[in-house]
Amino acid sequence: MAIGISGYSAYIPRLRIKKEDYAKAWGSFSAAGVAEKSVMGFDEDVLTAAAKVSKRALESVPMAPDKVTRFAFASTSPPYFEKLLSGTVLYSVGMPNSAFSSDHTTSTRAGTEAMIAGFEHISANQTGMAVVVAADAPSASMWDSVEHALGAGAAAFVLSADNLVAELEGHASYASEYFGERFRPRGNPYLHDLNVKKYAEGSLITNTTRAANALLKSLNRKPEEYQHVVIQQPDARVPTTVASRLGFTDAQLASSLVSKSLGDLGAASVPVALAAALDVAKVGDQIMVISYGSGAGSDALSFKVVSDRKAPVKVQAEMDRKEYIDYVKYLKIKGAIV
Amino acid sequence: MKKVAIVGAGQSRYGDFPDKGIKELFFEAYKDMKASVDKGLDPKAIESAYIGNLGSGGFQLGNMSALVTEYCGLTHINTMRIENACASGGYALVAAVMDVMSGTHKAVLAGGVEKMTDVSGVKQKYWLGVSGDTEYERLAGTTFSGLYALIAQRHMHDFGTKREHLSMVAVKNHKNGAQNPKAQFQREITLEQAIKGPIVASPLNLFDCCSTTDGASAVLVCDAEIAKQYTDTPVYVAGFGTASDFLAIHDRPDTTTLEGTRRAGEMAYKMSGLTPKDIQLAEVHDCFTIAELLAYEDLGFCEKGKAGPFIEQGHTQIGGDKPVNASGGLKSKGHPIGSTGTGMAYEMFNQLRGSVQKPTRQIKGAEIGLIHNVGGSGGTVAVTIMRR
Amino acid sequence: MYWRTIPQRYKMIGQKCKKCGAINFPPKGVCKYCQTSSEFEEIQLSGRGKVHTFVLISAGGAPPEFAEQEKAGGQYPVAIVQLEEGPKVIGQIADVDPKEVKIDMPVKAELRKIYTEEEVIRYGFKFVPG
Repeated sequence: MAIGISGYSAYIPRLRIKKEDYAKAWGSFSAAGVAEKSVMGFDEDVLTAAAKVSKRALESVPMAPDKVTRFAFASTSPPYFEKLLSGTVLYSVGMPNSAFSSDHTTSTRAGTEAMIAGFEHISANQTGMAVVVAADAPSASMWDSVEHALGAGAAAFVLSADNLVAELEGHASYASEYFGERFRPRGNPYLHDLNVKKYAEGSLITNTTRAANALLKSLNRKPEEYQHVVIQQPDARVPTTVASRLGFTDAQLASSLVSKSLGDLGAASVPVALAAALDVAKVGDQIMVISYGSGAGSDALSFKVVSDRKAPVKVQAEMDRKEYIDYVKYLKIKGAIV
Repeated sequence: MKKVAIVGAGQSRYGDFPDKGIKELFFEAYKDMKASVDKGLDPKAIESAYIGNLGSGGFQLGNMSALVTEYCGLTHINTMRIENACASGGYALVAAVMDVMSGTHKAVLAGGVEKMTDVSGVKQKYWLGVSGDTEYERLAGTTFSGLYALIAQRHMHDFGTKREHLSMVAVKNHKNGAQNPKAQFQREITLEQAIKGPIVASPLNLFDCCSTTDGASAVLVCDAEIAKQYTDTPVYVAGFGTASDFLAIHDRPDTTTLEGTRRAGEMAYKMSGLTPKDIQLAEVHDCFTIAELLAYEDLGFCEKGKAGPFIEQGHTQIGGDKPVNASGGLKSKGHPIGSTGTGMAYEMFNQLRGSVQKPTRQIKGAEIGLIHNVGGSGGTVAVTIMRR
Repeated sequence: MYWRTIPQRYKMIGQKCKKCGAINFPPKGVCKYCQTSSEFEEIQLSGRGKVHTFVLISAGGAPPEFAEQEKAGGQYPVAIVQLEEGPKVIGQIADVDPKEVKIDMPVKAELRKIYTEEEVIRYGFKFVPG
């Protein structure tokens, strides 16, 4: 029996800062291809964003929230490093307390980890219903150029065997040992990068291409058969690099390249980008999804669009709803100065 | 039931006094009260004392009434602290009046004291923003300025009350307070200054808000039958009323009415056989300028919604037909929470006896006056009508 | 204690009076409308309503729990919102230019950070336009 995505939605906080404001403050802006990025408000965090977007996704499906049997939450930027996070969201959204919930964190791959965890639950329980949400707003020291790209966003998916929007065709993963690229040592609130460029690119390419190629092989598919490819977006250049190494084109990337105007959405990067692709996909379109998390690992998922039912709020509409802030206000909101 | 008279009243200076704690402040008011008793007071006559107080400066939360009374030499008496937020003093007076009415005690002290400037600005707000519905109102991000601003905004919307009307309250009360040697702010302000004050909680600005104040007050209440032992010119308690309301403004059916004031006023009018028309002057609770406008309406001085024009027409100025807050009110005289209610009684006692310190703010020939003391944003209200 | 109000703050659980049918929110011991019954059934409020009145809190008007919010974001709006089910409730309005807040403006509730004390984040509903 087919399983897949029955409903989805994205949420983008409305504040934006432009690359020009960074350039004014620092003399340069080091997030390739990013023109502006989204910023969470002072009273938001990944849990409030997750609650909002989970509710939206649930409202878009003809199934009641009290039928949820599995909830998975993903973020690299949780407000607590120890304390259950999924409970906050599950309770506030009105999902049953008895649903099995899990928290996925520690790498930007967390979003697809949560999705696969949800799909595994549905494969094993065909009558079940899973909600998967990725919400992220990564932080780094203002002195670190890795900070420039960091944005904020969230996407949620309702997974089940009923009322499908997109059918899951298959998934594959690859994990390996790489260190020194994008990590947060114990006790440090900010992410760090040793900035060994070629080595980091090696990890990215190795992990993503191995996961993706394994999936393509198992499905007996070629890249050109896909209308859309969704790839992890730490900036707007990395996905094009990965795409070309795998044999995908910029045209296939176009529908999901949200980092140009939202920045690096961390664990929510691939989920928000997938929502953007689903927003414009036609029935019959195929979507390849490839995440990456430093450390390192990659998940690949393949979907086929089976319905033209769309999210109640489209990613484009969320991107258009915005208010610009200057760099000083940005620093205040990020807690760099108060 | 016994008839009740007031035969003495005293007040400390209101202001910011680093050298005085609650004991010293209260003693200052007590001595002032004692000196006001025309034929002298033997302290042993005082059998009972009710002390209005909210926070005791944050350090004597328990048994403060015993502490401040024994400091004045009053030991082994019936005493208790009365706490109803900013209406603590008004309720202490009512408690003393009921004590005498019942015949339990013949001479009873009603007083109040507050020490508000001993702590940092941040700590001050911690114990000041706690008399509304803290669970919802404070945790929505408001203190009292915000709550009264919510009322003001709706009053402006429903009745066309203007920014200028709010400021007129501040200007009038500062003008009166400038003539009160015991007031915290003895200076006049212009309408322009009042309108352009820095915003605290829009639509309220700094000049719409009263300050934090140290101060104390005390009045001597007694059985009217023995009043002439103390003075030939006692002031009588003609009636009083107290009423509570939903603590949170959002629970009240009508946002722009303090139902507590309306009902406490009705009770006091009924008990005294008087009507709002009979009231010749009043001290009302102007913790924020909008609060004075609400009082005009809820006490029946003017029609509902007409408080703006009422102040604009000058009725409530000294020299008007219903002067309000000739003392300067909370706005200019100061608002030492627990003392405010009995401080109003001190002013009214002197107004009705013609013994106001500076004759420029003496309301000549006044015989009947009303005092009105509000707890928080109207959760508790005490009204007392006094007559010569 | 904040924890006790979690059903109200996270989910806007109200009380429907079994006698008069009116909705109480936040909850009461005795129905605030008929003042006779204390039998209620729990109901989930929609979180939708319109602004009944509002205030814009500036520096001196913020309680200490909200001082940092005021410093970081400037003045913030607090409103009494008339909920579509009947009761009014106080709450902040987020995601809005304070100058745009108007009486009768439609709003809906969503989960936000309210304040943080002793490193514990207190979440609860705020209103946003819409």
